[in-house]
Amino acid sequence: MDFAQILANGVVLGALYACLAVGFSLVWGVLNVINMLHGSFIILGGYLTYFAWQMFGIHPLIMLPIVAAFLFVVGYALQAIFINKVVTAPVLVTLTLTFGLDMILYNLMTVYFSATPRQVTLGLGSIQLFGVYLPVVRLLGMALALLLTGLLYVTLRGSRIGRAIVAVRMDRSAAALMGIRVNRIYAITFGIGALMAGAAGALFAMVFPITTNLSGVFLGKAFVVCVIGGLGSVPGALVGGLALGIIESFSGVLLGPQHALTVGFLVMLLLLIVRPTGLVGVKGYE
Amino acid sequence: MRAAKVLLFVAWIAVLAATPFFADNNIVRTAIMLAMYSVLAYSWNFIGGFTGYPSFATAAFFGLGCYAGAIVEHAGVPMALAWIAATVFVALFAAVLGAIVLRLRGHYFAIGSIAIVEVCRLVVSSWSSLTGGGNGLNVPLLMWHPNTVAMFFLYVMLGLLAIVFAITVFVDNHRLGFGLKCIRQNEDAADMVGVNTTRYKVIAFVLSAFLCGTAGAVYASWVGYIDPTDSFQILLTVKVPVMTLLGGAGTVLGPAIGTAAFVVLEEFFWANFLSWNRAILGLIIVFLIFFLPGGLLNTSFRRVVRRLRGRESAGASA
Amino acid sequence: MSNRHLPKPRSQRALATATTGLVALSLAVGSAAAQDTVKIGAPLALTGGLADEGKKQALVYDMWEKKVNDAGGIEIGGKMYPVEIIEYDYQTDGPRAGQLAERLITEDEVNVLMAPFGSGHTKIAATVGQRYRIPTLACVASSESVYSQGNPYLFGTLSPNANMTAAMVEYLKENVDGLSKVAVYGRDDVFPKSMAAATAAAAEAGGLEVVYNELYPVGTMDHAAAISSIVAAEPDWVYATGYTQDLILIRRQLADLGVKAPVITMVTGPAYVEFTEGLGELANGVTSQTWWHHSVAYEGEGAWKTTKAFYDDFLAASGGEDPDYVHGSCAGALVVLEDALKRAGSLDGEAIRQALADTDITTFYGPINFGENGMNQARELPIIQVQDEAIEVLYPASIATAELELLSE
Repeated sequence: MDFAQILANGVVLGALYACLAVGFSLVWGVLNVINMLHGSFIILGGYLTYFAWQMFGIHPLIMLPIVAAFLFVVGYALQAIFINKVVTAPVLVTLTLTFGLDMILYNLMTVYFSATPRQVTLGLGSIQLFGVYLPVVRLLGMALALLLTGLLYVTLRGSRIGRAIVAVRMDRSAAALMGIRVNRIYAITFGIGALMAGAAGALFAMVFPITTNLSGVFLGKAFVVCVIGGLGSVPGALVGGLALGIIESFSGVLLGPQHALTVGFLVMLLLLIVRPTGLVGVKGYE
Repeated sequence: MRAAKVLLFVAWIAVLAATPFFADNNIVRTAIMLAMYSVLAYSWNFIGGFTGYPSFATAAFFGLGCYAGAIVEHAGVPMALAWIAATVFVALFAAVLGAIVLRLRGHYFAIGSIAIVEVCRLVVSSWSSLTGGGNGLNVPLLMWHPNTVAMFFLYVMLGLLAIVFAITVFVDNHRLGFGLKCIRQNEDAADMVGVNTTRYKVIAFVLSAFLCGTAGAVYASWVGYIDPTDSFQILLTVKVPVMTLLGGAGTVLGPAIGTAAFVVLEEFFWANFLSWNRAILGLIIVFLIFFLPGGLLNTSFRRVVRRLRGRESAGASA
Repeated sequence: MSNRHLPKPRSQRALATATTGLVALSLAVGSAAAQDTVKIGAPLALTGGLADEGKKQALVYDMWEKKVNDAGGIEIGGKMYPVEIIEYDYQTDGPRAGQLAERLITEDEVNVLMAPFGSGHTKIAATVGQRYRIPTLACVASSESVYSQGNPYLFGTLSPNANMTAAMVEYLKENVDGLSKVAVYGRDDVFPKSMAAATAAAAEAGGLEVVYNELYPVGTMDHAAAISSIVAAEPDWVYATGYTQDLILIRRQLADLGVKAPVITMVTGPAYVEFTEGLGELANGVTSQTWWHHSVAYEGEGAWKTTKAFYDDFLAASGGEDPDYVHGSCAGALVVLEDALKRAGSLDGEAIRQALADTDITTFYGPINFGENGMNQARELPIIQVQDEAIEVLYPASIATAELELLSE
């Protein structure tokens, strides 16, 4: 069995996982909210991309920024209207609330889009490098995933809004004293989380068949990636995503596909207990 | 006051127990499900209500109970013994697991407990030689008259409900309950004033688990067929806390009231708004969080009305 | 469109039922009026994960109900009875399927249950039927594990998986030179799992070497690891089972990761139009097996006397789309029921059960004869292949429309 191929599979998949999880991680880290809507946001992004492609022939890469912008608005509105009101409540309350909102969104999507699996078929094939097969769509997905994650990183580091988000994440009350409008920052952060989910959805529509039934699977991956990599930091999501991709790839070959998922979750539980800050997480953050 | 609560509860059990005499089996089935969910909600109340730990592991305990009971019964052990075996197994599982995961707090504990459900489902479904894997497992069916079967399982579930209620009343009035509430208020402070927090938390976790195991095993005997997807449902694991919150977490009557309200609403919407019932349940949850943050029992309804009219700026914090 | 999926029973009563539960579970519902219609209960997945399949069932149920009632109903014991199919949506939620089966039996007082889609949910509904001694007809459950539980009230119109796979192995050995290595990859779920296991067994029995044989759990998002292993094992034949979304992804990843097998079989992928739509050109060359194809030509009893008659009616009802095996099998099951009711001469559950057990007829769908365990006996099941994005029949020779095309990549 070709070691390089397994590793390549894992890395390509891992980049997609990173892209899937980075928005979730940001929201958790900054707002301290476990966003159960995240999986459905991705599906929504995927469906919008698919239907634009199927009905109007719009290329997914053109749709991607549009979908991302739309989801930013959705996310911002949800946060401003609902979640901000309970954002300081215990996790039980915020998690349950986002779960309730997710049930509504899920229901809307099954009624209007049905559960039929949809996929954008670009037929780009794959290239072969040193005997390793690399599907072009996934390479593209990986490049975009890295680009988006990188953009987010730069935004958080370089822009005023980004620095305000980081400040709120570190100390909410100090940030408020410094004149940062915390609620607005929360809404923007949640919007960015949804934006990243929408962008990931647009990518996934090219790689995976999208159906509403997958929203739980996506959400589960986001959990695992966040815990493995560490919360709230963009590099954490990247490390966690790549780690999970590689773990799944190797355990799928060595232990059989039946155990690949279990291994991912077990690694997560183990890390939770041994090192809850994740591989590159910040210490002392609860 | 305590006597009044117990009396109310006994009356409620009596109403449920009387259903076979005046309603058809479909209603009795609903009553069985109601009793079962009440058992799960009361169980969750120990860890989520009294102790304030956001546990989403209910489905893991329930599913393991289903499988433990079904496997033991499948091997030829009499039904009642199989239920006891499942109870013991799940209690041990929760004790061992609790000692490990209760070191986590807040969000990490929540995520960890959800992951436990998923790991259980994956392990059960890949261990085909024991569990039948994705094929599911058949449990020998009781071929009595359907009315007798329904009545039998109703009384078993009500029996479990009475047990869990008795434990709730006991815990509420006992040092244990006081200690758990201290942990909910401030765990570090509780530790400092001499509450053995680790021990208390593990006890609460086991209390929140073992009757879920029994309920699962009884459920498996009742329906006669279980599979991994239905036994370990993420939806169930969120529904149970919602039921408890709806009634009032950490109270003695809250879980019963919340479960009754939830099940009745669910049945009603299922029957009348077919393709929208999931969204409507979502709306109920949103409504609950904003307007009944303390549950039906702890809410001043005048405030709710005021808030609905929008006179009070909504700043709900639970 | 969506109106058709609303429950047919009077909504006031449903409402009353719920309200009853609400207050004190106090109102006794359901009166045993003298029955003058045949009532058939059908829990269906009209929303949720299996919605597409559930809607297929609903479509042919409606066709049959209308057809029979237009002809005046079914003659049972010298009297004409109209038929009524009562449908509820169980939202692809297993426990809910059981609950609705119970409601259908106790409140709507149905005489027969039509099982929902899939082996798992069929088991759940049939268990409730067995408890009340009401026969259950399953038209989309083919795993023998469903029928091996000694439930005498359960009958299925699909034939056992094992016979299907043996025929497939034989056919490929005859038609593919040098076929020796097979890779089997299946979803860990009742039906796909049993098909994978049956194929691996049949291949070994047929002298082929099984070079890869693994299952993937429900919730698997990606197949790269497994497919890399399959590619490395260099099989001549890749056999994969799963739901349409799994199979679309597996087919793509097989191509992406450079598999060179001349034969790729996916069950039940190509049997569904969503598969071909989702894959486009990549669907070409994928073979599959199905229990029924509309190009068969049978003549027999029931509402539709010939396959052609059913096909024409179906095109009118579906707006021009071809039926697949789900449509055929479910309509076939109702036709069998029609015949059994006539022979039973009464609406008693036990009498209907006996009549179903004695069935030995031919229908537009094919011959039906329920074996010891209640499953329809094996016959020659079609092997199909996607060629030019359309379905061609390869086997049996009597209805073949094309020859096997090998994949060359």
